[in-house]
Amino acid sequence: MAKSDDCVHILQGLLVFGNVVIGLCGIALTAECIYFVSNPHGLYPVLKASENDIYAAAWIGIFVGLALFALSILGIIGVIKASRTLLLVYIILMLITFAFEMASCITAATHRDSLTPSAFLKEMLERYQKSEPANNSDNEFTKTWDELMLQNHCCGVLGPSDWQEYTSAFRDTHNDADYPWPRKCCVLDAQGLPVSLDGCKLGVPGYYNSNGCYDAISGPVNTHAWGVAWFGFAILCWTFCVLLGTMFYWSGIEY
Amino acid sequence: EELPYRPALTQTPKLEGLVTASTFVVDQPRCFFDKYNNADIWLVVALDKAASTFNNTAAPGTPETAFQNFPDTVSAYMTLNATVANYPCSRPARDITVLRVGSETSCAGDKSRPTCNGPLPGPGPYRVKFLALQGSEPVAETPWSAPITLRTAKPPSKIPMTDRGHSAGMIAITTILSILFAILLAGLVAMLVFWGSDSCGSSSTFSKPESVTVRRYNTHHVYDQPAARL
Repeated sequence: MAKSDDCVHILQGLLVFGNVVIGLCGIALTAECIYFVSNPHGLYPVLKASENDIYAAAWIGIFVGLALFALSILGIIGVIKASRTLLLVYIILMLITFAFEMASCITAATHRDSLTPSAFLKEMLERYQKSEPANNSDNEFTKTWDELMLQNHCCGVLGPSDWQEYTSAFRDTHNDADYPWPRKCCVLDAQGLPVSLDGCKLGVPGYYNSNGCYDAISGPVNTHAWGVAWFGFAILCWTFCVLLGTMFYWSGIEY
Repeated sequence: EELPYRPALTQTPKLEGLVTASTFVVDQPRCFFDKYNNADIWLVVALDKAASTFNNTAAPGTPETAFQNFPDTVSAYMTLNATVANYPCSRPARDITVLRVGSETSCAGDKSRPTCNGPLPGPGPYRVKFLALQGSEPVAETPWSAPITLRTAKPPSKIPMTDRGHSAGMIAITTILSILFAILLAGLVAMLVFWGSDSCGSSSTFSKPESVTVRRYNTHHVYDQPAARL
C-alpha cells in the first residue's frame, strides 16, 4: 500500500509539474503573440493586404495562452484535491483549448507558406502608388513600401526590374523614360533627393538600390510565423502528455 | 566616309536601365570623329526595316526627320546634335560616357522641337548610326548598329505562381497534431464510458487523502503485530 501511495504521490507530483510548465508556456505564448500583433517591424499594412491574414493565428494565440494559464491552475488544484469533477472539467476545457491552439498553429504555418515572392510582387504592382486609392489602406500600403525601400535600401520585391518586366499602377501614372523605377529606389542624400538622378535612371551601380525587398520582409515574417507555429506545437505535445496522465489519474480516483 | 566604329549598347559599366520599355543606352563615339572639327554629329534612329532605305542627304530638323512624326510618317529621325568637342578622345576614368536615347520627355509632343530625343514609341526593333554633316553635306558616318529591341511589360496577372505550395513543416504539424487530438478524444470517450464501472488497474486505485487511509493503517498494524511477536 505504501508503494501505491508513493506511486500516487509521484503521479501527482508529475501532473503538478506538468501543469506548472503549461502555465508558464501559456504566459510565454501570450507574450510572444502580443509582440507579433503589436507590429514591431511596421510591416502590418503590407502583410494585411494579401487575402490571408497571418495575424489571425497570433490573435488566437493570445487567448489560448491565457486559457492555458488559467486551466493549469485549475489542474493543479484538481490534482491535489483529487476531485473527479474538477479534473473532468479541466480535461474537457483543455481539449477545447487544444483544438483552438491546433487551429492557430496550422493557420500560422499555412499562411506563412502563402507569403511567396510572387504574392508580394502581384500585390505591390497592383497597389503601390495607386492613383485613385480606393480606401485609406492603399495610402498606408504605399507609405509602408516607401519606408521599407528607404530603410532597407532595397527596390521592389525581387529588384528594380520588377517595374520593367510588368505593368503596374505605378507605371500608369509615371512614364517609363522618366521613372524606370520609383524615386525611392535611388540612393538618396540627407535631404531625401537622389544623389544623381541620371545615375539612378540609367541604373549605374552605386546610385540606385539593386536588391529586392523580399528578404527584408520575409525575415521577420518567418521568425514570427514559425515562432507561433512551432512553439504552439511544442506546447501541445507537452499538453498531450499531461492530459493523458490526468486521464489515467482521473480513472484511478475513488469516488 | 564610313568609320570603322559600330554603335552598340553600352557594355561597361553594367547598367540596370540599359534597355527599358522606351529608352536604350549606347556608347558615345569617342575618338572616331576627331578629324571633323567643323561637323555636326547626329544620331540617326530608324526602324529596323527602314534602315537600308535611309538617305544620308536628309536634313535634320525638318518634318521628314522630325521625332514627332516617328514612326507614323517618318521611319527614321535625327537627334542628339553634338560636335567633336562633346566627344573628346580623352576619356576621364570616373565618368560614364553614354548616350541615353529617349530621355527627353518634355519635348516629345512639341512640333517646334523636331530634334527632340523623345521616348521611343514601341518595342522596335530599332537601329542607330552616327552621321557627321558639314553644313548639309554628309562627310562621315558609322555603319548601322545591330537591331535593338526594347522591353515589353507583361500584366501582373502573368506572374508565375509556381512557388505556392505546402511546406513539409506545415504538413508535419497538421498530421501530428491531428493524431494527438484524436488520441485525446478517444481517451475522453473511454473515460466517460467507463465512468461507472471499476477501472482497469483497480489494484492501484488511490484514495482521497482524508477518509480511508487511517483505517488501512490500523489493519496493517494489527496484522503485523502478532507475526512480529511470534
